[in-house]
Amino acid sequence: MARELVHPNYVAVWVWLVALLIASVGVTTLPISTGIVLLLIFAMAVVKAILVALNYMHLKSEQLLICAMAIVPLVIFFILWIVLYPDIALH
Amino acid sequence: MAQTHVVATGVEARVASGIPTGKMGVWWFLASEIVLFGGLIGSFVMSRVGSGGWSEMAAHLSVPLGTFNTFVLLTSSLTMVLAFAAAEKGDQKGMRTWLLLTVLLGLAFLIIKGFEWGSEIGAGFTPMAGSFWSFYYTMTGLHALHVLGGVVVNSILFLSALMGLLRGREHRVELAGLYWHFVDIVWIFLFPLLYLSWTKGGI
Repeated sequence: MARELVHPNYVAVWVWLVALLIASVGVTTLPISTGIVLLLIFAMAVVKAILVALNYMHLKSEQLLICAMAIVPLVIFFILWIVLYPDIALH
Repeated sequence: MAQTHVVATGVEARVASGIPTGKMGVWWFLASEIVLFGGLIGSFVMSRVGSGGWSEMAAHLSVPLGTFNTFVLLTSSLTMVLAFAAAEKGDQKGMRTWLLLTVLLGLAFLIIKGFEWGSEIGAGFTPMAGSFWSFYYTMTGLHALHVLGGVVVNSILFLSALMGLLRGREHRVELAGLYWHFVDIVWIFLFPLLYLSWTKGGI
């Protein structure tokens, strides 16, 4: 049986990625607090990563097992990070 | 006995759990890479929050060069996925062109990064200049090694396509692409972490 991947408009995705890159650099020059700047630049990084994973790596149309192979290591990483964070960063 | 099925490129591939084994192998590899880079990035963030003075060090990095290099890598992801799209359509010439562009963009990224490292080391910011610089060279160095690996793989694919050896094996472009996009995603996080988070006082 042939596997069918959804082909989005790759160029449009690239335009979004470049726009977010410019926005993330631009936001560091705005007269807003450091906390908000950090929140915005990392939120934009997450959006860019999701755009690449869903559209260029085709996770949008992949089988559940492949999606799980991408998500489970991330979950493990975040659990380890959250558990270790107070012990290392706050001492 | 291994099952076979026909993927979109027309290639018969062995199948495990309904997924071609080549793709399954690449995803297993990427899962281990998530833990590798995740551990490194997590350690950097914890160490940075736990110690002071890293923002002053990070301020010495060139934001324009880092931004341009990010643009180069994002564009290489586009050319890579266009190579895969051409491969799926059986467009050999298109596949070769996009693969070559991906290789060139990967090399451009490495040259710019090498120039940056040269300037920083020339200014005295060696890997031994402090914790920030140790992390910086480790993270960007490991990432650059991955880019180099991708350039080598894509060059082999390009040369194979040029010699007609990739005909019937076009699915390999998709597998190389998965790796290349992952390397792009890692840089998407390294860029704000190293280059942008020092601004406005940073952490």
